[in-house]
Amino acid sequence: MTKRNGEKGAGLKGAVFCAYAFVLFDACAGHQQSAVDPAGPQSGKIAVLWWFFFGLLTTIFLIVMVFTLLTLTRRGHRSGQEPLNASHLPPGADEKELTRIVAAATIATVLILFVLLIASVSTGKSISELGDKKNGMVIEVTGNQWWWHVRYWNDDPSQMLVTANEIHIPTGRPVMIRGMSQDVIHSFWVPNLHGKRDLIPSRVTTEWIEADQPGIYRGQCAEYCGLQHAHMALWVIAEPQAKFDSWMKHQLRPASPPGGPTGERGKQIFLNSACIYCHSIRGTAAGGQTGPDLTHFGSRRSIAAGTLPNTIGNLGGWITDPQGIKPGTHMATIPVSSEDLQPLLEYIEGLK
Amino acid sequence: MITQNMINVEHLEPSDISSQSPLWWGQVCIVAIEATMFSILMAAYFYVRLSVDVWPPAGDQFPHTLLPSIALLPLILSAFGSYWASQAAKKNDRTGMLLGMGLNIILATVFFVMRIIEWHSLNFNWQTDAQGSYVWAFLGLHSFDYVADLAFTIVLFFIVLSGRYAEKQRLGVHVDSVVWYFIVAIWIPIYVVIYWGPQIVETQ
Amino acid sequence: MNQTEPIPNSSEREAQALRDLENSWQTPRGMIGWLSCTTHQAIGMRYIVTAFIFLLAGGIEALLIRLQLALPNNTLLGPDRYNEIFTTHGTTMMFLFAVPMMEGMAVYLVPLMLGTRNVAFPRLNAFGYWIYLAGAIFLYWGVFTNTAPDAGWFSYPPLSGPAYSPGKRVDFWAQMITFTEVSAMCVASELIATIFKMRAPGMSLNRIPLYCWSMLVQSFMVIFAMPAVMIASSYLLSDRTVGTHFVNPAEGGDPLLYQHVFWLFGHPEVYIIFIPALGFVSSIVTANSRREIFGYPGMVLSIVATGFIAFGLWVHHMFATGLPQIGEAYFTAASMMIAVTSGVQIFCWIATLWTGRLRMTAALHFVFGFIAIFVLGGLTGVILASVSLDVQVHDTFFVVAHFHYVLIGGALFPLFGAFYHWFPKITGRLMNEAVGKLNFWILFIGFNLTFFPMHILGLKGMTRRIYTYGSEMGWELGNILATIGAFIIAAGGVVFLINIFLSRNRGEIAGDNPWDADSFEWAAASPPKSYNFEYLPVATSRYPLWVAASERTFVTGLRNDRREVLVTTLMDAEPHHRLVLPRSSLWPLLTALAVTIGFIGSVFNAWYITYGSILTGLAFVGWFWPRLPVETKP
Repeated sequence: MTKRNGEKGAGLKGAVFCAYAFVLFDACAGHQQSAVDPAGPQSGKIAVLWWFFFGLLTTIFLIVMVFTLLTLTRRGHRSGQEPLNASHLPPGADEKELTRIVAAATIATVLILFVLLIASVSTGKSISELGDKKNGMVIEVTGNQWWWHVRYWNDDPSQMLVTANEIHIPTGRPVMIRGMSQDVIHSFWVPNLHGKRDLIPSRVTTEWIEADQPGIYRGQCAEYCGLQHAHMALWVIAEPQAKFDSWMKHQLRPASPPGGPTGERGKQIFLNSACIYCHSIRGTAAGGQTGPDLTHFGSRRSIAAGTLPNTIGNLGGWITDPQGIKPGTHMATIPVSSEDLQPLLEYIEGLK
Repeated sequence: MITQNMINVEHLEPSDISSQSPLWWGQVCIVAIEATMFSILMAAYFYVRLSVDVWPPAGDQFPHTLLPSIALLPLILSAFGSYWASQAAKKNDRTGMLLGMGLNIILATVFFVMRIIEWHSLNFNWQTDAQGSYVWAFLGLHSFDYVADLAFTIVLFFIVLSGRYAEKQRLGVHVDSVVWYFIVAIWIPIYVVIYWGPQIVETQ
Repeated sequence: MNQTEPIPNSSEREAQALRDLENSWQTPRGMIGWLSCTTHQAIGMRYIVTAFIFLLAGGIEALLIRLQLALPNNTLLGPDRYNEIFTTHGTTMMFLFAVPMMEGMAVYLVPLMLGTRNVAFPRLNAFGYWIYLAGAIFLYWGVFTNTAPDAGWFSYPPLSGPAYSPGKRVDFWAQMITFTEVSAMCVASELIATIFKMRAPGMSLNRIPLYCWSMLVQSFMVIFAMPAVMIASSYLLSDRTVGTHFVNPAEGGDPLLYQHVFWLFGHPEVYIIFIPALGFVSSIVTANSRREIFGYPGMVLSIVATGFIAFGLWVHHMFATGLPQIGEAYFTAASMMIAVTSGVQIFCWIATLWTGRLRMTAALHFVFGFIAIFVLGGLTGVILASVSLDVQVHDTFFVVAHFHYVLIGGALFPLFGAFYHWFPKITGRLMNEAVGKLNFWILFIGFNLTFFPMHILGLKGMTRRIYTYGSEMGWELGNILATIGAFIIAAGGVVFLINIFLSRNRGEIAGDNPWDADSFEWAAASPPKSYNFEYLPVATSRYPLWVAASERTFVTGLRNDRREVLVTTLMDAEPHHRLVLPRSSLWPLLTALAVTIGFIGSVFNAWYITYGSILTGLAFVGWFWPRLPVETKP
């Protein structure tokens, strides 16, 4: 029997050790989509709170487990003892002492929870104060099944940039994400920068994010939104203000004209196909609004909301068989003949 | 098995018509379920109403308040009929039960006819908008309960009339009145919500 | 007793009384008898067996989920199939397994523990079971005809609304909710009436076994929580089938309102599953520490407080929707407060174990496993209560880990403990203890291997309900461990089934009270007779079977030739009156059929509500129609 108790103790200790090892290792590893690898003031404050909770709660867990397991060893000392005679009660003194201990443990629980409550509420308050800055910018993110519509707000309508699935932000500057949805509820979540915020039809939700240093952070829809919930990712690219400004300037321009005759042919194929019913390319006749804007598609990192890296081969596969790559996607399968495909791809990938 | 440690319960009544009966508690549970349901619906109604500026939504006319207000009279009086029947049930007074239930049935029918007339005058239905959905849900659910308990009262009336009844059926009359008090009582806040709710918002 | 027949001597009279009892409580033989049965042991067993079958079904779905997620970019299941399976898994486990299983255990155990012969409303009890069975068959009919729900177990609109979930999938889900809620409300009402009014004489409020206290609180929670989910599912169903606009944002409805109403039910639901398990733990701890439970008043108060607080924290499921900060602080505080009431109970159990004379039965093993897993799950719950932390881990695998820790750790481990503890009562034979301990270790290791890595996956950004993920995400290790663990859990399930089947036929004969336990169910025969007790027992202590045999007291004077029980007063359990319970009846089944016609039909055509109501009304008239000749003998 004592052997079995030993095993149980070892198992629990091992599990706890693994817990520490796993999480600590993870925090140092550096991930593009991780809540414990903060890259901004919001996520930084949350991470500090997390480690505080983690340390305190782990300690509590260990204490409770030690006492639970000690009840087994106590039994060992008294093995062979018969039931507590007729009364089924230990001596009165024991009970009194137990009452004191249990009362003390309860009071300790209340106090610890109070500390955690204060830590939590004050962190929440200081996070909410981060946004109230004058130089903040506003980006409107609209969830769609299953991609992200992105619009940079500007008082001058001609300077409002529309793009999709990729958000560039300047470092060190607070950015307000104005969240909306076109269809069902989605949730905007870039864990390295901040927690998630739901995008709800008929409502506007807001959240301030900020990146401390340049970097590429991945985000993903966190609220189940249907068939392709798994393939609804986005990239946030934080870069210094100057680099961001030049990116913005470039993105505001209409699409660059095709580089050569193949590209020009690709453009005609595009404009004469059903593609234009859903997609826009500024500077051309294509003005569809239901799909992602393609004006500078070639400059983006990925295809179909983070489903595939943006390469000409992947794009070819995506256009010819969207249902095979992202089953259920609303991207229509447009028949493109084999001789038309190459020019079309060259044109779209040339939209840098 | 006969030992000296025995409690003899032979002398106790083989049935009981009061709140000591388990069935009474069962009915209270059902009333609690229904009350919770209507309370949540009313809270939801206010949640929706307070989230928009214009109420009732454009196109919906204000419900009339005259007829529903008059109709409260027979409804509340019907509860007294129910009370009469339940007291008579305790005393095993057949005539009292029949008169009480009869009064209850007649007044309840009068109220329901008035409700149908008012209901028909609404210029929106459940498909029109959220207010339509709520008003129809309140009316529909309450009418469902109302008709069900009224039908049950009618069945009890005929059982008592036939004379083939015992303690169980008398207990039935008693707990039936518990449900009827609830159906009458819950209508009053619903009535305020449906008929006065939009007006109160308008005057603010 | 019957005074008119001449009875020669007392032993002959005893035998005659027993024969009368047997006759009046026995269920007729044959198919009709089986269908019309109203005894609580039989109905309870039906609940338990049916719910167990759905545990296996939900388990198989879980294995499919784990197989799909074992490797990145896996194509075993497509997105549509995967979404159906995780929705069906959650729905099955919550509505078709956990709640009905807890109800079934209570239907079986509560009358025995209270020292009475049946629940207060035996026919309602049978009706509740048939309705549950109909709802369960309805959902799985959908599953096997490619109409499985696929909008998640809480089916948020607009995704679950008519525009984004065409077809009948969500309708099947919503109507299954109605079925199971009706069933749960039936059981809750009858348990409240039974615990309030049918306790053994002398079993005053401060002597009610903790398990019955927990079922009383759970039943009240059902009464106040289930109407919310019926409203939520009716919103959805009527928006989808008759074009109302309750949750349609285009016409003034509100999808967030659905979330409020759903979680107003959904959070208490967790405690509806978990509070009965607290009762199991208290029973097992008391019997196997061989001492009175430490801190009975504190335990009762914490159960009651848990029941109240559970209704005040639903919003922590909605922190990511962006609520006003003051509201958030309140819900954080309330969510943390519930840790105090759980803490008090854990402390009391540890104190009991600390000073007891432990007998390390398989059941007690499961209690130790429960404490370890549940405490961890409770502590991660404190993390979820914090708004700032919640917005990071909400809707990730961290939450998946958390609720499996509290539900499997908090409810399933105690339930398995309860199976080992009460199996001898139900079957008359002991389960194999050695296999039981092996069973515990397999489940404990498999469980932690499956769900512990999910905490880390969540922190590493793995969101819930994704059917696949890329290999670049760094989630492979955690997922493959979880899948291996899931199969270890399945192996534990197989060991349990083997133990059940072997013990049922070849287990050691248990006797009435194999654990020398304290409560009334152990005074009945194993398995109990259909009337439970020849003479109803009297509670002379909070631990009535630990009283010296010479001081035990019994009730005499109830008629044996009909199903008579004793009704006692609410507070002090003084005998008040006798009550005749109904015999077997087919009406519960017929009424359930009428209700089923209305419920299922209305998914396809709203007029079936009317048809179903009329049929149900007729069935109820049949149910209540006085039996002729009217019995007037006192």
